[in-house]
Amino acid sequence: MINLSTGAFYERSTTQISSLRARAETLQKQIGTGERLTKSSDDPVAAARLRMLDREERISKVDTRNSQSAENNLQFTDEAFAQIAVIISRARELSLQASSATTSDSQRASIATELDGLRENLLGLANGRNASGHSLFGGQAIGNAYEVDATTGVATYVGTATLDMVEIGEGQTIVPGNTGPQVFSFEDANGNQTDIFAELSALATALRAGGQAAADAGRDGLTMLDTSFDKVTTAQTVLGSRLAWLELMTDRRTDNLERIEDERSVMGEADIAVTMSRLQEMLTVLEASQSSFVRLANLNLFSMLR
Amino acid sequence: MASDLLSIGASGARAARGALEVTANNIANASTDGYVRRSVRIEEVSGGAIAGRGSDIAVSGSRVGEVRRNADAFRQAELRRTQADLQRANVELAGLQNIESAVEQSGIFSSIVEFEATLQQLSGDPTDSARRAAVLGEAETLASKFNITAGSLASVGEGLRFNALADVDNMNTYGAELARVNLRLARSGVGSNDQAALLDQRDNLLERMSAFASITTTFSADGTVAVGVGPAPATSFVSGGTAGTMSAAIAADGTMSFAIDGAAITPGSGSLAGASLALTDLAAMGTRLDTAAAAIATTINTAQANGVALDGSAGQPIFSGSTAADLRVVLTSGAGIATAPAGSAANERNQQNLIEMRQALATANPAETVNSILFDISSKVAGRTVTQSALETIASSARIALEEQSGVDLDNEAANLIRYQQAFQASGRAMQVASDIFDTLIGIGR
Repeated sequence: MINLSTGAFYERSTTQISSLRARAETLQKQIGTGERLTKSSDDPVAAARLRMLDREERISKVDTRNSQSAENNLQFTDEAFAQIAVIISRARELSLQASSATTSDSQRASIATELDGLRENLLGLANGRNASGHSLFGGQAIGNAYEVDATTGVATYVGTATLDMVEIGEGQTIVPGNTGPQVFSFEDANGNQTDIFAELSALATALRAGGQAAADAGRDGLTMLDTSFDKVTTAQTVLGSRLAWLELMTDRRTDNLERIEDERSVMGEADIAVTMSRLQEMLTVLEASQSSFVRLANLNLFSMLR
Repeated sequence: MASDLLSIGASGARAARGALEVTANNIANASTDGYVRRSVRIEEVSGGAIAGRGSDIAVSGSRVGEVRRNADAFRQAELRRTQADLQRANVELAGLQNIESAVEQSGIFSSIVEFEATLQQLSGDPTDSARRAAVLGEAETLASKFNITAGSLASVGEGLRFNALADVDNMNTYGAELARVNLRLARSGVGSNDQAALLDQRDNLLERMSAFASITTTFSADGTVAVGVGPAPATSFVSGGTAGTMSAAIAADGTMSFAIDGAAITPGSGSLAGASLALTDLAAMGTRLDTAAAAIATTINTAQANGVALDGSAGQPIFSGSTAADLRVVLTSGAGIATAPAGSAANERNQQNLIEMRQALATANPAETVNSILFDISSKVAGRTVTQSALETIASSARIALEEQSGVDLDNEAANLIRYQQAFQASGRAMQVASDIFDTLIGIGR
């Protein structure tokens, strides 16, 4: 005969009901937090993956910041380019005027003065700073890109030859600007390296000298300024393509962040609909076993003894 | 006539009363831990007929022959074994869970990632003082998170050792108690109520001892037990009236070892085995964390030494210390971070050294190290949780099996109450009849 011990009955009922309760509480916690995992050991593989996703996301956010500041710098450069183009156009206009036979020497002299002013403006732009206070055209230079000799007025490039790349994520890098020589230096008609500052001051000097030579200098100046203008527009085109590349990378990063978010929700988030219905099921079972427990516990021979 | 109707009735009433008392005792102890249901064996008392007078009725009623203790030695041994396994799993799992939360909740992983991120952010503009300060701030967070984790791991170890030492004390107390029970058992009568109570005590003590370590038991005919501790061959702990002394020793790395009367033992299972397993894991985890902390400090400090700070001076170490507990940030200003290569002037924007520092950090990959530490510990916890819940089921069914066999069934006892009450009333009736017969006989002479 199997002896159905009272103690065994209570022991078994307690174990069953408390395990049901524990499972219902786990489900309730998942619904409350929206997370499937409360600690790593709930699902070690998913938790490890989630940690790596968090890391990827964090790094990607820094990439976003670096890319934004690169974009900022490129836009600063872009604005500077626009102003440079205006100045060079004005210089070309003046040069054209000076080359005309109808222009008098005194008019050429005043043109020369205006050209000096334009050169000053160009130097100012060349020594411009970006948002973080670094030289816009000086490469990795700490101060100005061009140093002007106090006595001769000759401008010399003192920046570095190249510019450090900036990481913009997924192993991609971008050059966040241009160095001075990339914009202002070019080859003159004889194939010698020169820059716009030297050429402009030479032009002004020649115009002040007057006579036919001045008119010829004005004509030569036209070719020189065209070359210089080409250089600037080329740099501007390169800049435009860099900005487009940055934009593309920003889109990619956004997609990537979405992918991370997707994967995270698949890995670690509780599906509310499924969890709710499982909780409901658990509660129904719990209720049933509680009420059957109470009934069985009341089923006692002693209550029959009078 | 050799039999006496009145005394037969009286003996029946006595036996029924005895049975009622045992039934009442069963009901009273229905929820007493370790109580084993008693049942009464009532036997007939035979007067023995005189030779040659076979026609004589020679009956003398009944008496309580034995108070039987319905214990099943196999199920009890099974309960002890499964209980020891469960306790080992419980203690080990609790220790591992504490280790897991110590490493996970301190957030070491996220602060390593944050440190990497601030270095990357610095590469966007290596001379920016705000970005430099962010790197240093994050380095400090990182160091203090390592310290916090080391502290929590140390307190997990202290908790485990404290409990284990208390368990050793209890083991000694129970051993001594069992030796005393053995002495009394040797002197008690077989089948007596006293013996049954002592056997209850003996089994209760054995069950409690099995929660601490795996024990082997050898029972003698008189009910006394010899206890050995550990896997075969077991070391003798209690033998007859003498009990050994268990002691625990703590090694330098925090792990524990146990001995009985000076002879080293392995607990086999039970909470002591669980504690010693968890402490071994804890020591290994501490070493891995120290390695990760040392790797970060060495990598960053080496890279620092190769470059120059913002003011053009040689790079100084950022971290001091080589363990998780003593990792500190010693650099006081963000300007001291050596981003530029050796030989650069002050305020140099060249970030060659920062690139090399980040590459070295990516190669050392402390984030991956900590991730794998977390993965290992959490998968261990997940695995042990499965084992523990399986053992829990096994142990609870062993307990239920024992309870079913040796526990009190109140319905049964209620039926017994009625049965023995009726037996008592019937015996009383028999005595009444004897009295009536006597009265009748007396009345004849009148």
